Amino acid sequence: MPGRNSIVIKLILVITLSSSLIFAVTLGYNYYRSRIILEKELEGNARNLAMSLVNRVETVLTSVTKVTEGVARSLETGRYNEAELLSLIKTTLENNPDIYGSCIAFEPFAFKASSRLYAPYYYREKGKIAFSRLEDSYKFVPYLYWDWYQIPRELNRLEWSEPYFDEGAGNIPMSTCSVPFYAQSGGTKLLKGIVTADISLESLTELVSSVKILKTGYAALLSRNGMVLAHPLKEAVMNETFFSIAEARNDPSLRELGKKMVRGETGFILYKSLVGVRSWMYYAPIRSTGWTLAVVFPESELLANVTRLSITMMLMGLTGILLLTLAVISIARSITKPLRSLAAATHVMASGNFDLELPPVKSNDEVGVLARDFQMMKESLKEYIKNLTETTAAKERIQSELNVATDIQASLLPRLFPAFPDRPEFDIFASMDPAKEVGGDFYDFFFIDQNNLCFLIADVAGKGVPAALYMMVAKTLLKSEGQRLGEPGQILSCVNNILAADNDSCMFATVFCAILDTRNGEVRFANAGHNPPLIMDSGGVRYMTLKSGFVLGPMPDTDYATEHLSMLPGDTLFLYTDGVNEATNFADELFGEPQLLAALQNGPKEELKEIVHNIRTEVTRHANGAPQSDDVTMVAIKYRGKAA
Amino acid sequence: MEIQTKKEANATVVTITGRLDAVTAPVYEKAVIELITAGELKLIVDFDSLDYISSAGLRGLLVTAKQLKGKGGQVRCANVKGTVKEVFDISGFGSIFQMDDSVADSLAKLA
Repeated sequence: MPGRNSIVIKLILVITLSSSLIFAVTLGYNYYRSRIILEKELEGNARNLAMSLVNRVETVLTSVTKVTEGVARSLETGRYNEAELLSLIKTTLENNPDIYGSCIAFEPFAFKASSRLYAPYYYREKGKIAFSRLEDSYKFVPYLYWDWYQIPRELNRLEWSEPYFDEGAGNIPMSTCSVPFYAQSGGTKLLKGIVTADISLESLTELVSSVKILKTGYAALLSRNGMVLAHPLKEAVMNETFFSIAEARNDPSLRELGKKMVRGETGFILYKSLVGVRSWMYYAPIRSTGWTLAVVFPESELLANVTRLSITMMLMGLTGILLLTLAVISIARSITKPLRSLAAATHVMASGNFDLELPPVKSNDEVGVLARDFQMMKESLKEYIKNLTETTAAKERIQSELNVATDIQASLLPRLFPAFPDRPEFDIFASMDPAKEVGGDFYDFFFIDQNNLCFLIADVAGKGVPAALYMMVAKTLLKSEGQRLGEPGQILSCVNNILAADNDSCMFATVFCAILDTRNGEVRFANAGHNPPLIMDSGGVRYMTLKSGFVLGPMPDTDYATEHLSMLPGDTLFLYTDGVNEATNFADELFGEPQLLAALQNGPKEELKEIVHNIRTEVTRHANGAPQSDDVTMVAIKYRGKAA
Repeated sequence: MEIQTKKEANATVVTITGRLDAVTAPVYEKAVIELITAGELKLIVDFDSLDYISSAGLRGLLVTAKQLKGKGGQVRCANVKGTVKEVFDISGFGSIFQMDDSVADSLAKLA
């Protein structure tokens, strides 16, 4: 099994991973871009919202400021008795629902010389307008020392007080608009008192708090000093300032933000809100009081839509990838199914079973083509193996026939040694090693009469079956003609004419033919193109010098001369074919006549069998494993002398 | 073995390189018989680059010589030397074939 390297696994891994990557990148980019777009849009929205809130608050504050200033101016221009004064205050209160309470507080002895302090105060209590005298209401600190009185008095200008709890008089958290009024006395302005109008912080807070932004977003109001005036965190209102919170949290960035707000700057930032949520905040100043209004959007809610969209997209993407994976698995399996069955079939075929039916192929795709080609290959292989089996069988038959032929050929040559145990006049020994199963070399020896031994060695051109066939003819002719004629030259001429009569294929043989007279050692011999034999006598070892007649077979009417040689007892003749001197090694170097001569000189000289075996060993040693290219044939004959 | 043929003015020179033995003789025979069939009746076999000739090689020479003779053609052997010359001498082929010392000699004698 291919296991984890299978095509299916590879396809799933590659396709799923790459589509997941593409999807993740797309989703990430989409989220990032959406966020940027949303932030831009958010800034605009936040600014609009903050500005509209600022405007609403400013509207209230401005109207209160105008009314208060109006009262102060009318006090400067007209003369009011006490009843008119009280009516002025009360009417002002009645006509301006935004004003919680109003007072006209006089400088000491400024209203009338009889009383030091005078500060009538109308305010709202349980839906009705109530009245009190501030010179009496403040039990511990006279009104002269309250911020709302002292600061505008000293600064000589309209002033909104920091929010405070009006203990004793209004008894609610409030901020007071104070306007000084004067009496003109000979060109100098003399301060007579302060006109005030209170606004309830609660109503202002309601105005701000009524703004709902998303789910948990809110608007907040900070005083000039950073005091929290309106905030969903109730316990911070009127108790904490931006700076005290920054201190408590040890958050320098929050302090920096507070400074910017106090300076009356406008901004849009991402920060960690007072309730500890990462939020966007747009802040802008309320000019008339120096307060700051902030609009806060929690980031998570802002991005909720984007996040939800992203999650939806992710789910859709995951589902898509899952479907894609399933599709890939299905396609990959459908592709590999025939491949797998093919592989299984191949496995069976590999063990030699070509009769196996291949799985049927329906598709027309590459796999289909492969399967069809595979089918054809199977048929071809089957056919080929069938042919090969037949050829091998035929070859084996020929081989066995050749083996029989080798045996027949071997049996034609005299192989029993000693060949003539009852003839002490001479020894003879011979051997033939064919290069192929049947060789073209042969030798023979036979008595032509009581005393004359004919011996010969021959080499038919070429090797194998054609040479062997020709050898059979030549050997038979040589023996029959030898026994009939008894003269080597005549024997060769006669056999040559018979062979040449019908020899279109130009086959030929080289023959050395000799006849030994065992009575006196006289040798008559003739040569038909054969290698000259060696003679080993008392003078040493040497090649015979002889006339080289033409080879036997191709040309009729060739003359072969009979020559003479006298052998003394102990002399040896060594006959060989070119398989000896032309034996080659892997470097194509010939064994050669000089080496043959040396081997005979240095080897044994007495026992013919040893002489022949020695040369065979030397030839094998020279070849050094190179294949034998020609038949190796040797005949050795030793004359012992006339029988006693 | 390699065989090269070169057409001269009055004959075709066949140069044999390497070994002429039982394996290569049929190749030689085929090449020369093709030449004869094509009408080249005057051949010179150049043995200058031949390293070795076996009895089967000699037979190849005989076959082609016989074919040529049958058609009234002529063959001469040039540059037969060394071991090849020994084989020619021993087998008696040296007295059957017309031998020259060089291709130029052969060409001159065929002229």
